[in-house]
Amino acid sequence: MKLPQFFGKKRGHRRTGSQAWGSFGEGFFYAVLLVSGFVFGGLVLSGTVAYSPTDPDTVVLQHGYDWWMWLLTLLLPGALVAFGGSGVARVIRVWGKSDEHRAASMGLPKLLDTMGQAAQDAPGHPGVPTCENLVNSPGTLLRYRLPLESPESWTLIGFGLFAMLWNAVVLVLAVSAGLDLLSGKTDWLLFMVLVPFAAVGVGGIVVFVWTFLLATAVGPTQFEISDHPLAPGGSYDVLLGQAGTGRFRTLEVFLEVEELATFRQGTDTRTERLVVWRERVKEWHDVELTPGGRFESRFMIDIPADAMHSFASAHNSVHWRIVLRGLSESRPAFTRIFPLVVFPPPAPLLRRPVHSAWQVSP
Amino acid sequence: MNDAAATTNGDSKGIVPALRAIAAGSPAVARGTLSPRVVLQFDHASRIYQPHENLGVRYRIEGIDDEKVRAVERSAVWYTEGKGEEDLESHFFERLFGQDAVNAAVPNGSFAIVLPSSPLSYEGVIVKVRWCVRVRIFFEGGKDFVSEHVFEIGQIPPARNRREPLA
Repeated sequence: MKLPQFFGKKRGHRRTGSQAWGSFGEGFFYAVLLVSGFVFGGLVLSGTVAYSPTDPDTVVLQHGYDWWMWLLTLLLPGALVAFGGSGVARVIRVWGKSDEHRAASMGLPKLLDTMGQAAQDAPGHPGVPTCENLVNSPGTLLRYRLPLESPESWTLIGFGLFAMLWNAVVLVLAVSAGLDLLSGKTDWLLFMVLVPFAAVGVGGIVVFVWTFLLATAVGPTQFEISDHPLAPGGSYDVLLGQAGTGRFRTLEVFLEVEELATFRQGTDTRTERLVVWRERVKEWHDVELTPGGRFESRFMIDIPADAMHSFASAHNSVHWRIVLRGLSESRPAFTRIFPLVVFPPPAPLLRRPVHSAWQVSP
Repeated sequence: MNDAAATTNGDSKGIVPALRAIAAGSPAVARGTLSPRVVLQFDHASRIYQPHENLGVRYRIEGIDDEKVRAVERSAVWYTEGKGEEDLESHFFERLFGQDAVNAAVPNGSFAIVLPSSPLSYEGVIVKVRWCVRVRIFFEGGKDFVSEHVFEIGQIPPARNRREPLA
């Protein structure tokens, strides 16, 4: 006898398990959360789970909480009700509907999708990301200045946050140890914990400062472009400006297409990136940057006529970008990424007629 | 019927539609006594269309015998394949239910749509975008059968053929 399978997995082109059982399992899970939230919240509101320190064996009704205490107390049941309720609503909305029917029912299912976040479509171009954020900064010589999308910045922010939070914990422990010392007590266990914690904290600060110096030592990069969004077959004027000091052995500009896929692996959500096309647009050797000045170059980029346009859906996307890579004599290599949006080719001026005289159902 | 028109049926595009059909098969399919099949013709022999172009299809549902059809869904959708979770968007969708509407769509039917400007069909390395026409039949017993017929919008070369040595 085959038992119902409540959880499905992606196996290449197909999914394991029954869709009906899967939907039932999902609905049941969210319903349990919803009911738990209501029961827990009800118990808290009625005072059944309130605790009286003076009489621990007796369940009491306890009123007189401050508003923030009520807020904290009801936070967990509120979260359970919200999460469970939205899940139940989503399951009910899609229950018994085919995949196509669900896709045609716009709105709520997308809002309730906990994993995928579809980019906003450009008007009249389904599946193509909008480029509003790429055209809101005018250039000095060319029409638009491209925004920077540098992974180095996120690394720097990550190191900074880690150093700050970790050292905050170390500070609390250190203050506690200091107060103990002042009062004449010595908590050896606390000191044993404090020493490795402080070492990691100092290490975090060193790594952050080093990363910060590397990120700022190169100087800002600026790209300007003559038009945006781009179109297959188009040629565009580009201006590169690189500030900073020192000597670069090479500076290279690439035009790249990157595919990005988000998927679930167990309980994790992972994203895989792959550059599937790359063209070296320009290359310079032995570039000397002087303080106060900047390296500038103006050149053309060409989008191939048969190129794929930019594409974005909830879990998959195709990105176009300009990438600057520099190799310095004294510093590590650096990479700076500037996203682009390529639209599909413009609609043909003349539409082909319908090819047959079939009777078309109304 | 135009001789140049492309004819496909539910299991002619590889194992995927066949698996889907089997997975969602009708009661008779489950019993092994019924084998529904949707023979579908595109009005382009190549099944390659351009953005904003008209797409016409005509189909014939075979092998349902006396099985009572409750509803029919006809759609033109795009979906992603590859490493990521599947995304599916509908460009055209209609659900025909009620005896008169079902009789008009079963066993023979046709429809025509104007295709959108995007997304274009794309054969990437970890991301692929596919367009298809689907005809889904709902039987009285509660089961359903779906037939998928892939077509292309645009003619973008596969990404793997364009990859240059990475620097």
